[in-house]
Amino acid sequence: MNATRGVLSASWLKGNGFKRIVTFSTKAHAKEITASHQKHIPSAHTPTGTSDGRKSVIPQNYRFIYPEFLPDPKVEWRNPVREKLERMDMLDRRTKIDIPEFYVGSILAVTSSDPHAAGKVSRFVGICIHRDRCGLRTRFILRNIIDHQGVEVRYELYDPTIQKIEVLRLEKRLDDHLLYLRDALPEYSTVDLNMEPEFLDENAVVPINDIKVVLRPRPWLERWERQNLQGVVNVDQYITDKQRRQAIAHEKPWEKYDMMKQYRATIPEEEQKEIYAEVHSQLHNLEIQRKRNKRKRSFVKPTKLA
Amino acid sequence: MNQADVSKLMSQLRIAVKPHRNLRNPDGPEGRLLKLRKTVTALVKHERIELYYNRADEARGYAELLISNAIRYGDRHKATMELADYWLLEKQLVHKLFKVLVPRLENCNYSYTRLYKAPRDYPGMYYRKSVLELRGNPYPTLVTDFTNNRNLIHNVLLDEARKDYRRERLAELANKIAAESAENEKKAEAVSEPKITEQVVNSESKAELKGVEQVEKV
Repeated sequence: MNATRGVLSASWLKGNGFKRIVTFSTKAHAKEITASHQKHIPSAHTPTGTSDGRKSVIPQNYRFIYPEFLPDPKVEWRNPVREKLERMDMLDRRTKIDIPEFYVGSILAVTSSDPHAAGKVSRFVGICIHRDRCGLRTRFILRNIIDHQGVEVRYELYDPTIQKIEVLRLEKRLDDHLLYLRDALPEYSTVDLNMEPEFLDENAVVPINDIKVVLRPRPWLERWERQNLQGVVNVDQYITDKQRRQAIAHEKPWEKYDMMKQYRATIPEEEQKEIYAEVHSQLHNLEIQRKRNKRKRSFVKPTKLA
Repeated sequence: MNQADVSKLMSQLRIAVKPHRNLRNPDGPEGRLLKLRKTVTALVKHERIELYYNRADEARGYAELLISNAIRYGDRHKATMELADYWLLEKQLVHKLFKVLVPRLENCNYSYTRLYKAPRDYPGMYYRKSVLELRGNPYPTLVTDFTNNRNLIHNVLLDEARKDYRRERLAELANKIAAESAENEKKAEAVSEPKITEQVVNSESKAELKGVEQVEKV
């Protein structure tokens, strides 16, 4: 009964840290910059495969546009083979359906197949309040208010039953999550079901919506006063003195200096570069195709004059 | 925790990072960080310390991150200076970090610290002990370095290869010198025989040379 316990016990797992075979030069970053200026130094070690001091081909903001390609940083769950297979599957799915760039605060419309709906297709429009997980399990929650009832639907980004994902409005907000919309006035979560997509200029920076939300009176679902939310106006209005004191007591000012905690919650820069170098060419091709399709849509065939 | 945090870019650590470890402390997480700060300060001050393994492994990560941030951003960067100020409790060690350790370790391709196993205290507190040291410290090495042992096979082969190479180069040099000396002898022989005609020849050649020089000058 206890024979297998020893083999797979937590202590054994803790003893073996995640050992990663380093396939790139581990020179300090500062030295890489100076080295790239000297042309005779062989740069075969750079993971991007560039040479002679050229800037790296991969855009810097890939980690914001495609954050799901980065694996879960938890050391016990890292498995390079599984991660590689997942990335291959993610790219396969992206060739079938256009999965656009979006952030928390963007307004999306998702068309998915539903066996119980008339026409077997259901479309839901909502504001994205949360993005979760990574890899093929990436999820996001869309929120809307329909018939005075708040409705949230959680979709998996790489779900094969999803037929179409459209971004109706692409924007960012001041916070990483908008879960406080559940305790906010309904006007902040209402999205028109027949909304038309709004287009941004190509290569424009994603706008940040500065809107500050007004909360309903307590009780709330979470202790918003302890979370340092930038996008909420009236947290102070509904809090008692005791809660204010408790919020201050629960603050952790030392976490700012806890470097190992931050390190364990991130994927290091060199590894990020490697991962995005792997998937860059295919993602770039998909982006080009998407732009081409956009132009085709807006192109109106000229009618023959009489 | 299930999504990698992309807001901050951190350099890869060159040590095996173990999962989160609960270093218990009566003052909670703040006390744990204070104890680790003392450990890191002692490491930077003495450059070699002996302590229990768990705290050594944890402190190693913090020390490596501190040094890698100092190398990457330098001391003009406000956040790095604040970090060094927080972690090094003695303020003169902040100067040591940026002025001594950074130039010493910035070209290092591997980890900035080394962690050895130390003998455990038996009978008594049988916890795992370890020695944590900075690379390039002035003390004699703890582990005997056998890489220069001439009897190891790779060193034997390399020494022989080195000897062969040197033998070749010397032979080449010797041949070269021999060839040069042979030429010089020939020249000397050729010069010594016709002494009388040589003066005439020399004067003629000198005139030619002068003529050539004049032409060149013009």
